[in-house]
Amino acid sequence: MVGALAMATPLLFMVSSSLKSGAEVNAFPPKLLPETPIWQNFVEAWRYLTPQVIANTFIFSLGIIGLQLLLALPAAFALAKIPFKWSAAVLAVLVVPMFVPGNLTLIPLFVITFQLGWLNTYAGLIVPMAGQCAFAILLFRQFFASLPAGLIEAARIDGAGWGRVLTSIALPLARPALATFCSISFLTAWNMYIWPQVIAPNPANRVINVALAPLAGGQNSTVSPAVGLAGGVIAMLPVLVVFIVFQKWYLRGVVGTGLE
Amino acid sequence: MIYPAPVHPISAEVRVPTPILDLSLPRPDEQKKPRPSEKPAGRRGRNLDAVTAAAFLTPGMLAFALFVILPAVGGLVLTFFQWDLFGTPKWVGLANVSRLFGDADMWHALGVTALFVLMGVVPTILIGFVLAVLVNTKMPGVGVVRVFYFAPMIASAAVSALIWVNLYNSTGLVNQVLAWAGISGPNWLSDLTWARPALVVMMIWSGLPLVIILYLAGLQRVSEDIYAAAALDGASKWRQIWSMTWPNVWGTTLLIAVLETVGFVSGSFEVALIMTDGGPLGTTQSLALYAYKVAFSERDIGYASALSLFQLVLMMAVVLLVRVIVRFRKERS
Repeated sequence: MVGALAMATPLLFMVSSSLKSGAEVNAFPPKLLPETPIWQNFVEAWRYLTPQVIANTFIFSLGIIGLQLLLALPAAFALAKIPFKWSAAVLAVLVVPMFVPGNLTLIPLFVITFQLGWLNTYAGLIVPMAGQCAFAILLFRQFFASLPAGLIEAARIDGAGWGRVLTSIALPLARPALATFCSISFLTAWNMYIWPQVIAPNPANRVINVALAPLAGGQNSTVSPAVGLAGGVIAMLPVLVVFIVFQKWYLRGVVGTGLE
Repeated sequence: MIYPAPVHPISAEVRVPTPILDLSLPRPDEQKKPRPSEKPAGRRGRNLDAVTAAAFLTPGMLAFALFVILPAVGGLVLTFFQWDLFGTPKWVGLANVSRLFGDADMWHALGVTALFVLMGVVPTILIGFVLAVLVNTKMPGVGVVRVFYFAPMIASAAVSALIWVNLYNSTGLVNQVLAWAGISGPNWLSDLTWARPALVVMMIWSGLPLVIILYLAGLQRVSEDIYAAAALDGASKWRQIWSMTWPNVWGTTLLIAVLETVGFVSGSFEVALIMTDGGPLGTTQSLALYAYKVAFSERDIGYASALSLFQLVLMMAVVLLVRVIVRFRKERS
């Protein structure tokens, strides 16, 4: 219980402080609830963050999920169910880069995106991140491989092409894998900081974490800490909803793969 | 930043809990067996299958080649050039690599990185293990407690930084609590002595949920019979935990050690960048942050690539070391 409280305290601090006055944030003993909740903090935080930034973040996160699904689902299906010579080789290639942490390839990835002329564009934000699709392919391949061969075969004998087998048989059955993938992918994308920071620092193209980070530097004195923390609450709401709804699938994906 | 987060070579030897992601490749003999759908289709069908497979794979593999393989190779190639991103890259051979060893800032950053690992990994493992054992019970309400444990996982680096900057403020909550106990605390993040430990405490907090989840998965594989037997023999709860539970999750511990080392070396530079920008006086500037600054502030792409490559080599060394330890233990038992 004490452990749980210690882990949750910083977040509870954020939520309760987001409704306090600037002076009340640092008052001791800390009050769980403010004297009078100042909802104005949220209004100011919203104005500071701007709807554009929040829209950008949704476009960024959903764009990555959508594009990865388009790239990964057919590839995963081909690797799991279509017999062809090179599947083992393709799998081996997909596994290798998983050993290299992302920030080590940050610089060359930035150089490529820069050369494509994609700085401060949605394409620059989304496409290179969607290209990191090895995890999605392996996850879906694993799921498709568990589908009974007879099911696929029956459809093939009935004259269905591979595309049809994928869209009308495999996909409807893949809901658990889709739930796992979408929740992990959404949380990861929504919480990204470095990539959007180097690719799209322009105010019009920023995502929410890039907009929030200056408030944590402590130099931005124009915004009160309580307003900053209200911004943090706004930034966390979508991931909180996804986490609560998909908790089971999300944790299963995290545990099953030993990834973070 | 790039998901998936790293699975490590060692995870093949350390038992990873219930993989839904089976990374094993089909064995050669399984490959040769004709698959059911090949039989009726015959040669032409097989060709058609190969064409379809290629069509299905092309978009994904193109993206993968351009944004995963090319950057990996590109990092190596850029190391041999001097380049500011705009002019023509100039071939300098191994100059960037040899510059590494004479660079005082690099050695300083390496020291900071080592300190982060030393201060962070062991406490994360111990606290994570204890919390996982505590929460691995069937008492009512444990589900709610678990949700609290996992809470830090959904806070992004920027949101966590925002929270902890306010907690660590000279008049922040941490100092208010200390003042209540009669201690006057420093302004944590700008204090030469305390900035580093303060950041490490925060990183431990962010890293714990994953560690607890992995330990919970590990604990659930330990058979309950052995505890019943131990209880019959009169072993105390503590004794059971340290002589039975701990050795039984040793594999999980090794996996976590590698993941956390990589985490403290490379993953955590975001929070240092946001909260302290490497300061005060470079005390929180790790290798990853130094490479980031060389690339994006000084625009010295070649040298930044050399720094990244050096980091990769160091991490490979750690993974190899753990593999050696695993093998050594296996041979002894």
